[in-house]
Amino acid sequence: MSYLPRPWVSWGAGAAFLLALISGLILSYPYREELPLISTVGIEGVVPLGEVFRALHYFSGELAFLLLFWHTGEALLSRAYERRDVLSWTALVATYPLLLLALFTGYIIRGDETGLSAGRIAEHLALKVPFLGWLINRLFFALAEEGVHRAYLAHIFVSVGLFLGLSTWHFRLRRLKLEDLALWAILALALGILFPPGLEAPPFPTHIKGPWFFLGIQEALRHAPPYLAGLIFPALPLFSLWAYKWRPRAAGLSLILWHVAYFLLLLKGALR
Amino acid sequence: MRRGLFVLAVVLVFFVLARELWRKRAPRVFTTTSGRVEMCLFCHKEQPEKVHGREVVGCSPCHRGDPLRVDKNLAHRGLVKNPGDLRVADKTCGSPACHPEIPGHVKKSLMATNRGIINTLRRYWGEIPAGEGIRAEDDVAYLLTHEELKSPALDYYRKLCGSCHLWFEKGKFPGFLAEKGGGCVACHLVPGPKEAKHPRLTRKIPLENCVRCHNRSGRIGLTYQGLYEDEGYGTPYLGGDFGEETLVDGRFVRRIPPDVHYKAGLVCVDCHLKEETMGEGKVYAHFEESVEVSCVSCHGGGGKTRRGRTIPGVKKEGTSFVFVDKLKGKKHPLKPPHPVKCRHQVHRRLSCQACHASRVPQCFGCHVRRDPRERQQDKLTGKKTPGLWEEFKSYQRLETPTLGVKGNEVMILVPG
Repeated sequence: MSYLPRPWVSWGAGAAFLLALISGLILSYPYREELPLISTVGIEGVVPLGEVFRALHYFSGELAFLLLFWHTGEALLSRAYERRDVLSWTALVATYPLLLLALFTGYIIRGDETGLSAGRIAEHLALKVPFLGWLINRLFFALAEEGVHRAYLAHIFVSVGLFLGLSTWHFRLRRLKLEDLALWAILALALGILFPPGLEAPPFPTHIKGPWFFLGIQEALRHAPPYLAGLIFPALPLFSLWAYKWRPRAAGLSLILWHVAYFLLLLKGALR
Repeated sequence: MRRGLFVLAVVLVFFVLARELWRKRAPRVFTTTSGRVEMCLFCHKEQPEKVHGREVVGCSPCHRGDPLRVDKNLAHRGLVKNPGDLRVADKTCGSPACHPEIPGHVKKSLMATNRGIINTLRRYWGEIPAGEGIRAEDDVAYLLTHEELKSPALDYYRKLCGSCHLWFEKGKFPGFLAEKGGGCVACHLVPGPKEAKHPRLTRKIPLENCVRCHNRSGRIGLTYQGLYEDEGYGTPYLGGDFGEETLVDGRFVRRIPPDVHYKAGLVCVDCHLKEETMGEGKVYAHFEESVEVSCVSCHGGGGKTRRGRTIPGVKKEGTSFVFVDKLKGKKHPLKPPHPVKCRHQVHRRLSCQACHASRVPQCFGCHVRRDPRERQQDKLTGKKTPGLWEEFKSYQRLETPTLGVKGNEVMILVPG
């Protein structure tokens, strides 16, 4: 019996992504990339309803990623890869790291200790990439030279570009229902009220935890060389996902094992 | 579903708008002079002294909390009322940007560990062998986390002595005990002007901060300033009138001539170095091992302690030395020991105090009673546990001191 992806998950991912874009557009007015932390604190404490939009932006972005994760799992179970040619399957797999990049740069541009430290780690990891490391760093990070400028542009360009690409090619935006949008907006707002997104102040930085989805890599970096823990290890699931089209059993097993390992690392990192 | 979502959305929007009306928003982002965000300054107008000025340091490096928040509940998460408390000092006063090496030294110092008191007490009461050296449990920090360690001497220490150490939580106990302890602030805190609404931190430690603890046993803090703890037979009468003064803990005191250094305006920290009081990272068992200044350090010693450290107040002026006191910066000429009286062959074994300490309090017949039917507060944990300790003395006299010999030196004995 074939598995069918649930529409509320796939449309939920699209709706949450759109909410993140709309709230991000509002936040981009009071935000100043040359004063990242000061302007983020200003959004929280000075701009009327600023923390509401920030919470909406934060949680809709997180929900978009989590729903995409779910949607990807359902797509694999429903064998959606069989209906895609190599190019479109590769493009779909690429949405995964691109959305992660958008999420990750979002953390960096807050300018707090968590964001900047995670950004610095990412910058060093990017420079470890053979041949293209300097280019990746110049495109997305370059924190040491330019502050959060590059990360800010990457955050906007990747988010908008990814959404435009997906909404014109992977799903039809006009088919997105208003109640879907409302449901995920309510959920993101409620989460924002219950768990206000944090900012990490710098007075005593003896141990900084990165964004939750980055904690596994942060923990892996404690136990293995950067090249292995920071590049090969995170690239493994992407390769497995891409290879799923041709070797579903082996790639599936690899994905499960990787996620179990990553979850354990993430848990260990979170409990530190 | 559409209707339910609509209702939920309306409720949520109403809630968000109502909260916006209710909440206080800052007019701008507040930063310190170094550009660090410090939103605490929006609400808090308190003014500490210049070194820890609000515009320079802000609030959060000392008091923690979340300086990036304006909302009171979020901003006050993890707030520390007393940054000097040794439980948090590593993250506050001792943070890497401020005084990183100090809390570690202080925690090893005798004022924090009470090592000498605990060790001696246990030895005298026969709980540890006479030749026993320092034990891990001879430390307040150890006793704080090991309630299960019980003995009569430790019970006595916990109930009667346990308020005179730097781990003692300031303000935890009522009455005069509320002023004691507090880690760094036990010594360094002084009241600020009323309009500042914040106490001040100082390196010019006033006498009363030291005497808050150093007023029992040898009563050095009292005698130094010319106070003699008089028994008064339980009444304040002297010569048929209310002549007696009382200390904050209710003990009667009588005025006597103070120490010459006190008359000159000197306080404890003029002579005692930070390495003696705050520790130097080494573990000493007893007070006499830790103290390195002596009378001759200033009077004839050129300002050098027995460990070769320089006493900051001693300055050379021409061929003689002067002492510049910490509190007022006043110069005091330093007299060298008398070339005949002090250097004479027959006086060679006399300590300076043997001749110059004209009187010391002498408390004889110290008795301790434990009533097992009553309960008393453990000053380390704050809990009331079975057993009430009471101290009694046979009599107390203000006399020319009894002399005794220790090693090869004749010194004064102060039973207390």
